[in-house]
Amino acid sequence: MLKIDNLHVSIEGKQIIKGLSLSINKGEVHALMGPNGSGKSTLSYVLSGKDGYEVDEGTIEYNGKNLLDMEVDERANAGLFLAFQYPMEIPGVQTSFFLKTAINSKRKYLGKSEIDALEFAKLIKSQSEDLGIDSEMLKRDLNVNYSGGEKKKQEILQMSILKPEMSILDETDSGLDIDALRIVSEGVNKLRSEKNSFLVITHYQRLLNYIKPDFVHIIADGRIVKSGDFSLALELEEKGYEDISKTA
Amino acid sequence: MKLDTMTSKYISDYAEKTLLNNPFENIKIENYKYAQLHKSITSNASFKEFDADLSSISSIKNLKLSDSSDIDLLSNLNKWNFNNTDSYFRVSSILERSSKKIDLDLYNEEIICLDLSLFKENIHLLKASELPKTLVIINSNISEICPRSIILNLLEKANLNIVHYNISNSKSFLYYEINQQNNSNMKFLSFQSNNVHTRNEFFASLEENCSLDLYGLNIHNYGVNDNYSFIQHMKPSSQSREVFKSIIKNGAITNFQGKIYVDSVAQKTDGYQMSRSLILDNVSKANNKPELEIYADDVKCSHGSTVSKLNQDQVYYFKSRGIDEEQAIKVLQKAFLVETLEVIENSQIKEFSYSLLDSIL
Repeated sequence: MLKIDNLHVSIEGKQIIKGLSLSINKGEVHALMGPNGSGKSTLSYVLSGKDGYEVDEGTIEYNGKNLLDMEVDERANAGLFLAFQYPMEIPGVQTSFFLKTAINSKRKYLGKSEIDALEFAKLIKSQSEDLGIDSEMLKRDLNVNYSGGEKKKQEILQMSILKPEMSILDETDSGLDIDALRIVSEGVNKLRSEKNSFLVITHYQRLLNYIKPDFVHIIADGRIVKSGDFSLALELEEKGYEDISKTA
Repeated sequence: MKLDTMTSKYISDYAEKTLLNNPFENIKIENYKYAQLHKSITSNASFKEFDADLSSISSIKNLKLSDSSDIDLLSNLNKWNFNNTDSYFRVSSILERSSKKIDLDLYNEEIICLDLSLFKENIHLLKASELPKTLVIINSNISEICPRSIILNLLEKANLNIVHYNISNSKSFLYYEINQQNNSNMKFLSFQSNNVHTRNEFFASLEENCSLDLYGLNIHNYGVNDNYSFIQHMKPSSQSREVFKSIIKNGAITNFQGKIYVDSVAQKTDGYQMSRSLILDNVSKANNKPELEIYADDVKCSHGSTVSKLNQDQVYYFKSRGIDEEQAIKVLQKAFLVETLEVIENSQIKEFSYSLLDSIL
């Protein structure tokens, strides 16, 4: 589904990702762990197509297509979703309006008609109840004055209604209390299926207790230095990044 | 010179000369700098005539010439005592035109429409009752572009909501004067779009315990769009809120200059002013100049001003959810402006304004 090969990325001339390769197949959940500044968020932005990231070398293939040729919105409509570490605040845009616009963009891409108001209301109601999101919140401006936890829940709500095939969660656990972490994880787990894949970026093993990954990768200085199964995450928790990076 | 004696050719020459050669005269040098219409006016090549479709509100009561009576505004000319008058239009329009008075309390309708093209005169509006009323002003079909004045007198406890669709497809020069007596409330929205050079002057004077909301929505005008406001608090305990928002592109220029003046007796004044401009390209310009002049010592006054371009991170966020750039920019423009539409009280007019904005975006 997603195949990253020998990726080199720089920002304003500074090399951040230095030869990263990673393959994610349908239905797999991969965890990417690494210290601050190792290139985790850069990777997520490059995958989503944010401006300002220069791909110097390497390829990214998504469902057989060259992902780097696709516009940001095209990638999203093709099923790629990035849950942001720091979701943008959009004053003046009601959350429910934003969700509706996003759903309709996807439906348009798929050649479907706009979503019916009743159908939309039902969808939003059920999904936000599952995530413990108050319906009042949907009337507020998108992410404006949301708490850290509410912002992350909002990202997962967007994910659950857009039903992406490839989801990238960029430190979704940061800023969440234990209850919110469990609820958010349940939201992610509900979307797990044979068709849907995940790349879960995190600092801590704790999230992976809730979202059990099939593979764990450790990134350091712009490259994956070690890959393994869930036990690698446990080892990491015990020894810390420095030790693991050394032995790699 | 009275209007009647001026030929239409003279009027258009006069306006053209004003626009292209003479900046507006102002007393203060710095005001002069900000208020002048820019001399290097770009061509109107990109100008597209836009017809505001008013059919959905066409059922509203339209004021006619026969509803008005003659009034002599000249005798009132010196009643106002601004420390410095930055108005270019007031005196000229009153000298050049005769004036008509309309008493809004004579009508039972909740919404009344004033189409400026039906009047050649200055208009003096009066409201004495507490009953809420919405006055819609349109100036789409004005053929002659000589300055004119609209004077609003709110007597004690009177309420009025005004929405001016200032969409002239042409040049537009207007002077508004708002006189509010004790305990009166006014909400005013000036919705400006598709003008080729415009200057609006808003002069407001508040007595005791009044409230004034003066909002401006200014989108996709051509040439120079110049808004000047002067709100004076002359008695204690009044509140004024002023918010002007502009979106510009295609090399247009938008100017905003606004002052809150608080007289020494006007204690407990609560004044707020915000001017924000959003520039969509690299050639348009925005000048905002907020001013406070306060002589009382127990007041709350604040002002703010921003000039910015679209936040590309916000556009990226939309795109990351599959929404294309064009749509994202439309939604963000609307998001920038909607605060001003919320000042409209009448739901029919509010709904109409939202759809009008959608049709412009």
